[in-house]
Amino acid sequence: MDEILRSLRLYFLLQRASARGAMQYRMNTVIGILSGALWQGTGFAFIWVVMHTFPSLAGWGLAEIAFLYGMRLTAHALAMIPLMSVNDIQWVVRNGEFDRFLLRPLNPLVQLMGNRVGIGQFGDLLVGVALLVFAGQNAHIQWNAWLFAFCFVAIVGGALIEAAFFLGLCSLSLRMVDTFALRLFVDDVFSKFGSYPMKIFGGVTEWLLTFVLPVAFVAYLPSSVVLGKLDNPWALAAPLLGVVLVSLAYLIWRRQLDHYQSVGH
Amino acid sequence: MTRIGFRLALAYRSNIIMTCVTLVAQVFLLRMIWTSVYGSRPTAAGLTLDALLAYLTLANLQAFATHTVVARTIHDRIRTGTVFFDLARPVGYLRQMAAFQVGNTGGGLLLIAPVIPVVLLVGSITEPVNAAGYVITLLLGYVIALQLALLISLVGFWTMETGAISLLYRLVSQFFAGTMVPLAFFPGLLGVVAEILPFKYMGYVPAAIYVGHISDLSGPVLVEIAWIAGLSGLLALTWSRARRRVVIQGG
Repeated sequence: MDEILRSLRLYFLLQRASARGAMQYRMNTVIGILSGALWQGTGFAFIWVVMHTFPSLAGWGLAEIAFLYGMRLTAHALAMIPLMSVNDIQWVVRNGEFDRFLLRPLNPLVQLMGNRVGIGQFGDLLVGVALLVFAGQNAHIQWNAWLFAFCFVAIVGGALIEAAFFLGLCSLSLRMVDTFALRLFVDDVFSKFGSYPMKIFGGVTEWLLTFVLPVAFVAYLPSSVVLGKLDNPWALAAPLLGVVLVSLAYLIWRRQLDHYQSVGH
Repeated sequence: MTRIGFRLALAYRSNIIMTCVTLVAQVFLLRMIWTSVYGSRPTAAGLTLDALLAYLTLANLQAFATHTVVARTIHDRIRTGTVFFDLARPVGYLRQMAAFQVGNTGGGLLLIAPVIPVVLLVGSITEPVNAAGYVITLLLGYVIALQLALLISLVGFWTMETGAISLLYRLVSQFFAGTMVPLAFFPGLLGVVAEILPFKYMGYVPAAIYVGHISDLSGPVLVEIAWIAGLSGLLALTWSRARRRVVIQGG
């Protein structure tokens, strides 16, 4: 436990240093956040324009879709803000920089995570939370303390699912398997398909997105619960999947780390 | 220069594979969303579902074809100072860069050629209502896309930094080109803005002519030619000012 607290404290110190580094280029940082927000904003603008003509998408209204979209986006931002710099792992390994992480007395993953702060993802967070707040008031949800807590836990659970896939794929880079393109693809599937009611895909695609790449668990199932669209009691357990998957991903990471060989500089 | 652009496109193969996969996924997603919202409705905003799906397939392929990299290339070359070599060549700078982009587009199209049938199948394409009109308006639209990209690149001679502007341009142009929603669905003021902006000639107008949503050809073609003429003038003017401001970094 002490070890974890110490890692956490050091992680925050590293991240603060990275954030300070990023703020040296203030304009660039602001533009980075705004671009992130705008990127997601145009994504939602599409839905808004479509639903201007068609009031319902598979039985979901605009506010309900907004809630789903916001939940997905917030989970995505929470997963990627701390993990963004792990995306560079390919280069860190190839330049031999990773050897330095192994020498220092701190978990190498924590060091890698503290390398850089994900700036564009703060833009995602901004749009995600804004959508949640807007939709939370307009989607006729009977808010109570339990639902609120479930919502919070579900978002964290969703973030863990995305983080698990990201970390699992990244850790393969420790053994020089380039998974960059694959990560882009997985991210693309999560962001494209995760923001819509799975019902519209139907059949095989819906099944694949639920049980193979569990996109449905990130936002679709939890928001169905919050919006009162799903009675299946299993959906309440959706947030747990994230915990299971992220533990699994961390095991993979540890296993790959054992097999790490320096490029030798 | 055209050949360099062509080869550059071929050099990043894994990039292209990614683009292909994303393209197929995008068209599939759009098909599912639109099929779902149409439900049992036969037609909306004057478009049947079949026509709409064909439209979306084309518009997404076009978005790929009219995507330009020239701004980023020019930006890199200004920043590293290598723009000097381009300026020293005895061929006009803008012409070189236009040739580079055309070659790059050609290379990109060659690489996605094998996927085009897949995309057409996933998006369920229909027979063209006006094939000639489609090709003409799309080619003119490509010229407009090229001119706008060059214009944005030239801003770099003043600001030295075009990354953010390029990204912004890409987002705005894709949205107003009607890649995901035909302009016919844009409500109120948004529709008016989209109608005025030139981005619709890269996506909406050619694709709408293909599916027969727009039947009058002369109007769009004339406006496109007017845009091209206007942008040519603006480009020449901007370039005559930009070339006096060239700063060669490094060396």
